[in-house]
Amino acid sequence: MSDGNGTVTVTINGRRVETHPGRLLIDVAEELGIFVPRFCYHPGMRSVAVCRMCLVHVEGQRKLMPACATPVSDGMEVQTDHPRAVDAQSGMLEFLLINHPLDCPICDRAGECPLQDQTYAHGPGTSRYVEPKRTYEKALEISDLVVLDRERCVLCWRCVRFADEIAGDRFIQLVDRGAGTQILTFSDEPFDSYFSGNTIQICPVGALTAKPYRFVSRPWDLKTAPSICAYCSVGCPISNEARAGQLVRCQALPNENVNDFWICDKGRFGYHYVDSPERLDNPLVRKGDSFEVTGWAEALRTAAEGLRGAASVGVIAGGHLTTEDAYAVQRLARGTLGTADLDSRIQDDGAPYELMVDAAGVAGSTATLNDLESAQTIVWTGPDPREELPVLFLRLRKAVTGRGAKLVVVSPRRLSLDAFATHVVRCEAGAEAAALEGLRLGNERPAADDVASADALVCCWGPSSPGRDETPILEQVVALAAERGGKVLVCPPHAGSQGLLDMGVHPALSPGYRRPETRGRRTREILEAAASGEIDALVIAGADVLNDFPDAELARRALTSGAFVVVSELFATDTARAADVLLPAAAYAEREGTFTNLERRLQKLEQLLAAPGTAREVWRICAGIAAAMGDDWGWTSFDDVWADINASVPTHAEVDVQALTQPHPVAGPHQESGYELMPNDMVMAGPGGPMPKGHRSGAAFEAGQAWPLSWELRSFEAHLRPGLIPVAADGTGEVGTLTERASATRREPGTFRLLSGRHIYDEGTMVSRSAMLHELAKEPFVALNAADAAEIGLSDGAQAVVEGATSVTLPVVIDDIARGAVYIPYDQPGLHANTLMRGPEPTVTVRPA
Amino acid sequence: MSVAAGPQEVRIVTRRYHEFPEDSWTLERVEADGGYEAARSAVRDMTPDEVLDTVKDSGLRGRGGAGFPTGVKWSFVPKDLFPKYIVVNHDEGEPGTFKDRELGERDPHQLIEGIIIAAWANQANRAFIYCRGEMALGARRMDTAIRDAYRKGYLGKGIFGSGFDLDVTLHRGAGAYICGEESALLDSLEGFRGQPRLKPPFPAVKGLYGQPTIINNTETLSTLPHIIRHGVEWFRRWGTEKSPGTKMISTSGHVVRPANYEVPLGTTLAELLELAGGMRDGGRVKAIIPGGASAPLLTSTEYRLDFESLQEAGTMLGSGAVVFMDESTCMVRNALVTNEFFEHESCGKCTPCREGTWWASKVLERIEHGEGRKEDMELLLDIANGIDGRAFCPLGDAASWALRSNVELFRDEFEQHVIDGRCPFEDEHLSFTGPRAAVPGPGDSGIAAQPHAGVDADLEGPDPREAGR
Repeated sequence: MSDGNGTVTVTINGRRVETHPGRLLIDVAEELGIFVPRFCYHPGMRSVAVCRMCLVHVEGQRKLMPACATPVSDGMEVQTDHPRAVDAQSGMLEFLLINHPLDCPICDRAGECPLQDQTYAHGPGTSRYVEPKRTYEKALEISDLVVLDRERCVLCWRCVRFADEIAGDRFIQLVDRGAGTQILTFSDEPFDSYFSGNTIQICPVGALTAKPYRFVSRPWDLKTAPSICAYCSVGCPISNEARAGQLVRCQALPNENVNDFWICDKGRFGYHYVDSPERLDNPLVRKGDSFEVTGWAEALRTAAEGLRGAASVGVIAGGHLTTEDAYAVQRLARGTLGTADLDSRIQDDGAPYELMVDAAGVAGSTATLNDLESAQTIVWTGPDPREELPVLFLRLRKAVTGRGAKLVVVSPRRLSLDAFATHVVRCEAGAEAAALEGLRLGNERPAADDVASADALVCCWGPSSPGRDETPILEQVVALAAERGGKVLVCPPHAGSQGLLDMGVHPALSPGYRRPETRGRRTREILEAAASGEIDALVIAGADVLNDFPDAELARRALTSGAFVVVSELFATDTARAADVLLPAAAYAEREGTFTNLERRLQKLEQLLAAPGTAREVWRICAGIAAAMGDDWGWTSFDDVWADINASVPTHAEVDVQALTQPHPVAGPHQESGYELMPNDMVMAGPGGPMPKGHRSGAAFEAGQAWPLSWELRSFEAHLRPGLIPVAADGTGEVGTLTERASATRREPGTFRLLSGRHIYDEGTMVSRSAMLHELAKEPFVALNAADAAEIGLSDGAQAVVEGATSVTLPVVIDDIARGAVYIPYDQPGLHANTLMRGPEPTVTVRPA
Repeated sequence: MSVAAGPQEVRIVTRRYHEFPEDSWTLERVEADGGYEAARSAVRDMTPDEVLDTVKDSGLRGRGGAGFPTGVKWSFVPKDLFPKYIVVNHDEGEPGTFKDRELGERDPHQLIEGIIIAAWANQANRAFIYCRGEMALGARRMDTAIRDAYRKGYLGKGIFGSGFDLDVTLHRGAGAYICGEESALLDSLEGFRGQPRLKPPFPAVKGLYGQPTIINNTETLSTLPHIIRHGVEWFRRWGTEKSPGTKMISTSGHVVRPANYEVPLGTTLAELLELAGGMRDGGRVKAIIPGGASAPLLTSTEYRLDFESLQEAGTMLGSGAVVFMDESTCMVRNALVTNEFFEHESCGKCTPCREGTWWASKVLERIEHGEGRKEDMELLLDIANGIDGRAFCPLGDAASWALRSNVELFRDEFEQHVIDGRCPFEDEHLSFTGPRAAVPGPGDSGIAAQPHAGVDADLEGPDPREAGR
């Protein structure tokens, strides 16, 4: 039966299938459209086989076997609907229900609850249990976001396993034993994890619920649309869910290429800004010291007049624009306005993405996220991914703790990765490039040995600190990868960052990674030119340069120098308030679009909501400005934009953007199983699909009515939305002559290089307007090395005066950070760290308060 | 050793402490009695494979409960993976069983000698004794014995002057029956919550700290020195073809002399009862638990105590704990008490065991207190069937077997409870776990019968740990 090529043939319910040995029975059955009921099994985590719901009959086995922990073997004959198995499934549900409160009428989960679904499909109709049920205190708030109801819990351990195995945050645990076993957090530690929301989504009952969603909606009242998280550059697929036109929930959609099954809490709970009453809804035009609400025609005309009258225009775009917006900004700048001065790197990371073009043919990654898992060694240099790219942190952690990859972290400060890194190279600030060269030349042992011996090497780089020139670091990363036959994972910060590079919103790149005829100014140079009057008009799209550019004073001078400023924004940010024309933009849930993630994967967003007032997509705003200036692009729809992109951007010529979307799962093989009582039919029923045939509840649902899916069933959707990485030309594999490395010179005692980085919950434009998360933002602090602190008379918890461009008093945190450097979070409540920064490579002095 | 007519003990593992009750646990006595000679000759004169083959040929079966052939278990261990570990299951939690405790307290050197032989055969350089937390005296004596053995060079670097190193660590459990299940024991030993692991991989391949691990019961290991010393032929003189040797039977319940009796496997229950002095007060046997609380009940003494006979009878030898119950026993109460034990000790990992034992306790309690319903007996059988074969580990199965056999064998008694609306035994308040007065023999019940039981009893000198070592 085996064909000798490492495949086995198994028969499940009379259907033969050829598959790989070692795969789990439950997965193989599912591919045949045979849904084996389960609670504890989750494809993203190791099997534990504790719920005993998936017991099936395997020919020749005395006992029923748990399908989630039984690997297939050749000739195996399985019956999931064997009378013994059916009896076990029904019996198990009766056991699970004896202590379940059956409070579905007040449970958030009702309607999309695996316990409910599987009870309908496999459970007994009545209960023989007459004794009092187990009771616990209800609605225990185990963190600011998660509420626990232990009575509803079926003790599947999914939350515990997720926290331990996936997130590495062991805050939620099983306590006590036997029938008294419960899920609980430790008394003095809340469930303080950046990934806690995943436990809510994978909970197969209503035991873990989301504080912001409690009692908010019934799943069948939700209108949902697949989308992509608009925060960081990992680009996790999500499901936006709205009730009565308001976004009320956001859940992870699985894509095994990108996020496995997970998203971070920022992505999950950071949607409140969309419905914020502070959203800009109509165009505003400056009249003296105040704004006046106008129609679009007047606003665009005013903008066009101002820009037409300008001698020189600079264009700055923020990192959250979609690929289409990016293309429009680029076309507006280079085409209509005829300027080469455009950039999207508002943190002035000096990141020489263009350097990658020579080496790799792309201004971005040559590695995919999946490459991390097949890598033998991974080198990381860049920001703290747990704070800035949380799901990338999970993928790195999985590669190391799950797949045995070796991880080398090169950083002047402690990163979350250090906890499981194989080697930590703690270099001095500014000496990252030298450390990387040491790895490359074999000096930095033993880490270099693991790099040298790796057949599959992935070198990751991301801008590590605002205001740094990263050129020598990236050069070394590219050289290291090239010499060892490795790949490079480039990690720009935001959801739109890579799309902006792909679409040429960069002074040295035009769309499709080509070199423009004229090299323009980068962000710092644009602002300097604006401050000096050399540039007399600015177009700013979704960028709060006053708070994000690492030299607040320069940004302030640029905006107040008298230049004509057009801003499109979601909110009246500090930058927006300095505009002459302020144009309201649509948020990610209010539009069709694509984001390009850090592995250059294009993924599509669907529109779920209407934008407030007359707010619209940035591409529409750009096209409107162009038209008002007499340059009509002829765009009226999203497809028009893509027709233009297909025609003008060689790398994207073949992209069929609508093929990225198949919002409803198609029937496929699931129809063949012929089960009456299995919820296979639910699998086929996507949002809007028919009610499941096996549903026993009688006439509660009309045929054809939308049937909300519990997450297990949703997962089918995701396999149809893998996204697409456009093919680009090959590079030479090498960088040119390496720049001379900046040497790490010790400075005077008390004078430090200022390292900074964004934290997950900060004062960012979107997250700070998401109420639940803003409360979680940490207070600012200054972290420094114990020896440095002692030298200037500071200790942990003391107050220090930090003086750069301005001066601030901050609490001291002693941390594992290179001598001669301090770390201050970039944008926490009470301190925009960019106010401390002046010029590139900022420094500060620190003294006791 | 000759066997006289009539039932008689054959003392092999219990010989030394019966012969020298005053100091059987001391190294001086043990050495004078020929102790450690078997281990010395194994390490010096035999190859590991020779030891393995001897144990295989002896047919020795595990004395902890499952009766798996020890030599076969050892042969599953991959030869080329190091380190390997030996773990002694000294957690003895099965209700009615008190044999390992006695071995640990009264002949710890015999156990250490067995450990050395097992470690040599399997080339393991480290052994752990997982000792039930409650066994304070045994733990102290084993601790002393281990240190004495180190001092003599029987443990440590290059034992017996060979090139073989062996370290033994004593670990005390924290009081959970489930930690007697070998994989839960390993989790507990590693410092985690004691819960059974998913198998495969089996401990022999991937056990303690992910390394090949042999887990043997105390009595099993204590038997090894005798097999090595006297040979396979000698060992097979006792017992049956498939269950060779002798077995300690912890005998308790309504018998005149509850105690451990070491008898050849294949001895009948009637003979054992005779050894124990018969039923107290001239009572008649109503029910017998033949192999610890997990084992389905018997109602006759005709059965032989060996692995295969009891399996044929639909029950099991288990850990070798026989509880005789007389006609004063309420079987509903017996079922309740037994089930409450399993409910209390269920680790909570899997649904059927966690919820099923909980539910059964509620129903049994109702019946016992006169609130039973006529459909309850079917319900109890359904609960038992709902657990049996579906639980994660044998704990659930055991609970279901005990429950089912009580209901099936004594259904009329259960029904009587329901019909009467009360327990027919309630005036007497008697069951084998209940209080009673004036019982002849060495102790109140088997469980409390041992002269050395109790934390403070019979300590020799100050605890070395308290002496500030």
